[in-house]
Amino acid sequence: METMVRKFQQKYKRAKDEMGRWDEFQSRLLSQFGNASSIIERLEVLREAKNYGAIRCVPGIRQAVLGKQMEALEMIFCSMRVTMKEFHSVIMSLDKIARDGSQLLKGGSGPTTRQMRLRVGIWPSLADCLDGLKSIHEMYQSEYLLKSSVVSSLTCKCSASDIVALRQLLVDQPNIPNDEVQSIFDIIFAEEIC
Amino acid sequence: MEATPLPSSRGQESSAKNPTLSPPSPSLSLSPSPSRLWRPAAQRNLRNQWSKLLSSKDRWVSAASEGRARATSLVNAYLSRKYLPEMDLGVLKDMPGIRQKACDKLAQKQELYHNMLISSYKEMVVAVSHLVKASSSMRCFLKGSVAGPLVQFCDHPENKNDFGDGGGIPVFSSFPISHFENLAQELVEMFALELSLKRLLVVELLSISWSQNTGQIDGLKWSDELYLGEFDDLRMNGLYSEESCEPLPPRIKNWDSSIPLTRHLDHPPKSEVLQVYLTTWLADVNINMNRIQDYKALSAMVLHVHEGIWCLLLD
Repeated sequence: METMVRKFQQKYKRAKDEMGRWDEFQSRLLSQFGNASSIIERLEVLREAKNYGAIRCVPGIRQAVLGKQMEALEMIFCSMRVTMKEFHSVIMSLDKIARDGSQLLKGGSGPTTRQMRLRVGIWPSLADCLDGLKSIHEMYQSEYLLKSSVVSSLTCKCSASDIVALRQLLVDQPNIPNDEVQSIFDIIFAEEIC
Repeated sequence: MEATPLPSSRGQESSAKNPTLSPPSPSLSLSPSPSRLWRPAAQRNLRNQWSKLLSSKDRWVSAASEGRARATSLVNAYLSRKYLPEMDLGVLKDMPGIRQKACDKLAQKQELYHNMLISSYKEMVVAVSHLVKASSSMRCFLKGSVAGPLVQFCDHPENKNDFGDGGGIPVFSSFPISHFENLAQELVEMFALELSLKRLLVVELLSISWSQNTGQIDGLKWSDELYLGEFDDLRMNGLYSEESCEPLPPRIKNWDSSIPLTRHLDHPPKSEVLQVYLTTWLADVNINMNRIQDYKALSAMVLHVHEGIWCLLLD
């Protein structure tokens, strides 16, 4: 029983590492999003010929500046897609960790339902261990789907208020409630906390 | 790409390596011995000039980004000063002369950024001069008599039949000097055009800031020298028109030259205009970043890698 929990704790440590990678990609995505949105917000000003002041006298200036900004925007979109792939790799790892977790219990005849629910002292039950990994994977999975749709909603036609709303969604990560994640880890590593 | 890369087939390589077999070239046809010696000397020189070209390009890039930061600071100081009279100073509003002091301080800052912007611009001009120089020093000329026991080379022609290109023989892989000159020329053109456009931005930003200081609308003009000796530098870079006695008007690659610059009457400019100026600075519209990447790959070859691998990357 204790060995089994120890094995699960190893899985949780790996999950923690993956979540750390996620956070890294999150800050990368936010900065890419920020860069993209500052270009998008600028586009409207850049489209108006009258905003070019004295440099209006240079033929093609408006087209050239707009073109360059669109190019830059396209590159940022591209790197955002790369970041999304990174997020996806985190999801894949979390999925694998959760499946490895259930594999741990498959050996031999497998524990009975009673054994699964058995709690000794502050040790988590095997069911706690198993479900925790699954819910972490699910949370991140849904957040990934949300992020993908936010990222694909960001286009050069977005208004400033759209952008603020989208950004807020990215920052909030509503599918990953911090306290819930924390409480899962608190249960699994209860003896370390004490 | 302007220059058409020659196919680097083996047959052509071997025939090109032996200039006595190739059709008579218009330039000095070197006898086998000096030509064999010319190639390593030309390679050495080309490597040298190529690395100068790259370092000047980097110098330009860092001066331009420094210039952008200074232009932004100048614009910010200008805008703060412009909005200062309506600004809500909160608890500070009762301090005697606070607005005037803040205004003086901002004016000082403006002057500081003004000068810093000019020095960034000057640095960009110097970088373009170096680019021009390196791009025109790629040839390698025979020094003294061919008949002498010692064959030497130099950077200027001593014989009017010597074009410094080894009679058009390949210098690296199957490419003759002119191929590299064309590439360098393309690079120079990008940065020279962008320099000219940035000059327009500098003139505008400086005159906006200047008119705030003096209250006069007629600030700087395109035909004014921004620093002492600027026009000599621009002349060297081919950016000065002797006919109109002012710098060539800015233009965008593949577009017409701008119409003579007249002062626009929308002074003071709206903040959107300033935003467009700064974005234009940032956008480097005349600089094709994809081409710059190509140069990077190519330069790795010129500078470090054995020439055998050359042809692969150039094709």
